[in-house]
Amino acid sequence: MPDPLLALSLGLLLLAALLVIIWPKQGLLARWQASQHNNERVRIEDALKHIHKYEMRGQRATLESLAGALQLSTEAAAQLLGRMQALGLVEASSDSYRLTAEGRDAALHIIRAHRLWERYLADQTGYREQEWHEQAERLEHNLQPEQVDALALQLGNPTHDPHGDPIPDAEGNFVYHGGRPLPALPLNTRARIVHIEDEPETIYAQLAAQGLYPGMTVQVLDVSPTRVRFWANGNEQILAPLLAANVSVIPERDLVQANGAPRSSQTAETLATLRLGEQGRIVAISPRCRGVERRRMMDLGFVPGSVVAAELISPGGDPTAYRVRGAMIALRREQAQLIDIQRVAEMTV
Amino acid sequence: MNAELTFPAGRQPGGGERVAPSAEAILDTARRLRWEVGGDFHQTLMEAIYTDAATIADRAVTRPGEKPRFDLDRTIDRVVTSRIWGFPLMILLFAVVFWITITGANVPSRLLADLLIGQGVPFLHGLADTLRLPLWLSGLLIDGMYLATAWVVSVMLPPMAIFFPLFTLLEDFGYLPRVAFNLDNLYKKAGAHGKQSLSMMMGFGCNAAGVVATRIIDSPRERLIAIITNNFALCNGRWPTQILIASLFIGGMVSARWAGLISALAVVGIALLGVLLSFLVSLSLSRTVLKGQVSTFSLELPPYRPPRFWQTIYTSVIDRTIMVLWRAIVFAMPAGAVIWLIANIHLGDLTLAQHLVSLLNPVGLLIGLNGVILLAYIVAIPANEIVIPTVLMLTVLTTGVTGQGAGAGVMFEANSAADMMTLFRAGGWTLLTAVNLMLFSLIHNPCSTTIFTIFKETGSRKWTIIAALLPLLMGFTVTFFVAQIWRLLAGG
Repeated sequence: MPDPLLALSLGLLLLAALLVIIWPKQGLLARWQASQHNNERVRIEDALKHIHKYEMRGQRATLESLAGALQLSTEAAAQLLGRMQALGLVEASSDSYRLTAEGRDAALHIIRAHRLWERYLADQTGYREQEWHEQAERLEHNLQPEQVDALALQLGNPTHDPHGDPIPDAEGNFVYHGGRPLPALPLNTRARIVHIEDEPETIYAQLAAQGLYPGMTVQVLDVSPTRVRFWANGNEQILAPLLAANVSVIPERDLVQANGAPRSSQTAETLATLRLGEQGRIVAISPRCRGVERRRMMDLGFVPGSVVAAELISPGGDPTAYRVRGAMIALRREQAQLIDIQRVAEMTV
Repeated sequence: MNAELTFPAGRQPGGGERVAPSAEAILDTARRLRWEVGGDFHQTLMEAIYTDAATIADRAVTRPGEKPRFDLDRTIDRVVTSRIWGFPLMILLFAVVFWITITGANVPSRLLADLLIGQGVPFLHGLADTLRLPLWLSGLLIDGMYLATAWVVSVMLPPMAIFFPLFTLLEDFGYLPRVAFNLDNLYKKAGAHGKQSLSMMMGFGCNAAGVVATRIIDSPRERLIAIITNNFALCNGRWPTQILIASLFIGGMVSARWAGLISALAVVGIALLGVLLSFLVSLSLSRTVLKGQVSTFSLELPPYRPPRFWQTIYTSVIDRTIMVLWRAIVFAMPAGAVIWLIANIHLGDLTLAQHLVSLLNPVGLLIGLNGVILLAYIVAIPANEIVIPTVLMLTVLTTGVTGQGAGAGVMFEANSAADMMTLFRAGGWTLLTAVNLMLFSLIHNPCSTTIFTIFKETGSRKWTIIAALLPLLMGFTVTFFVAQIWRLLAGG
């Protein structure tokens, strides 16, 4: 029998070592996997995306912008660009770089893979919005064109990723949303969020935490150099201008009718605000309620037009049971917050 | 896109003849419209279809007034989910269910054991003698295979045939969904579904049945969590082990007056530790490996209705009986053969079992158990019920204690607590061995029936392996640390 103190220390050491290896994100295993994704091909593909992004904005990518975006030294970036020129993917003009036709095709393939994968994560998995981008960043480099096409087919050829960015079709065609930044919206004009920039991650996490998502109706109340105050689906919100600039909107009067009729403006309340005995008529289900969950809600009878009454509350405080279409369905608070309602008076049965 | 579209020439809604547009032009239009229509198109369309269906149904379906029933439902609901009465009522109901199961199962269990083992085994041996079967064959068939099967049936059948029908009645009445409703907030904090409380409750009867019961959870992520953590509900096959060891060792520490209470508390403590572990494991699973699985919460609270008493009892009892018999024959019978064989095959001077025990002893002793217990857990993977009989048989075999047991490879239960204690002492058991055995019995791999059921339910090798190995690793870790700390504090 080994000395218990020795065995105990060895055991603790082993446990610690195991945790160091398998700890999510910071663990050795996770780091090793990440390092596998940092070879030259991946860097070239990331560089293509960067240059394409600048071209879309009407800017020119430079050596410095590329080095900054990919977190490389200037020498390494220059080397990378030299290699890309040799491959015929970019061409240099004075101090900036442009994509060749071949380079653009390659860039669009990566972007298509990235955005389709984000769409897939949003619709068919349980990952939260903060995790979509990072996962897609890794996966985009591993998908073959056939796989991307199969994915698009399976998802029903979606046109936009969950942030509102257009997904290029197989031929590389796409239409840009054409929105303007939220602070540039004239005051008191109702507009729809069409895009939320998902980079950098910290800013996106804040926007997501505020509950902003493409498809939401907003109205700017006032803009000052330090803050933008606006209504979003009935709630007043405040953002720093830097954050607000990452939200693109289109005034509702400019929206094509086919984009879906503008949502009713009285949707100040969600199902979660109903107290026991009160009832409301469903006006809309938030686009944040996606994929399987959305279908499930509709299967249960939570569709626009249904009258819902709050009947019971769990002794634990959550969930709440609602009577909808003759059935009692319990929903958690976060789910009830995804359903917009309009209060109606107690029905006479 | 190689669509070949043909259109009946002309016949536009506006009237007048026009040349049919070319396929190319149509595809072009489609492509352009795709962008104009926008991303929410599918959802808008789906929503519209659902809304239309709902409107049509509202127009066409008349609902006869069910007001009296509805009010009764409402009254019951107010009580069973009230802040004051909700939890006490729930605890009371389940306490009653467990009490009926435990007291009600004792008598039939003893009867079955008497019949199948007390009379069955001698009768079969007599039969084998008249048929002049060779000793090894009758040993393998009767002492090995038949005995293990009979053991599992007599231990498992009565509690199963009482516990599950009671549960089914509660379910039929409509009460169980209210339990999930009451407890959901607790489970939500662990990233799980309130209905996991129900599948766990079933797990107290049988983990395999608990795993099947997770079908009521329709959200994929929460269902996997419920399946993987079900094993932490102390099942019917493990309760006897816990009760026996607790009353022998832990109850034995205090005066006879308190022994019953203390050992009962120890067993309840182990069961509660299991519940706590199921929460902790649920939490860490939902944060790590199961992060990407789809999660959709919904819980229907169906109207109450009087249960169809006899029909429910009948089908439920038949179901359980069939399941127990199937399990006993498919899983326990081969285990019985293996147990008999390892105790009777000699390699050199020693039996295979003795070799294996000395092989496992260093590991067993390190984690505060011993080689006999580890070997018993390995051969008794198919059924936790036969762990203690196997341990007893192996202890006799390895220590050479005389006057106990019925021969090599024949599982038995000692006649009295004192006999059993003598045997355990001879095997070198201490209080640490007992505590760690109780812990290991709670935290180890599920039995092979459960593993098989998990595979059938998830259809995935990966989740089956995780569900089997995760608790085993946890069990080794827990017993290891308990043993080392115990020895440090106890000074050796």
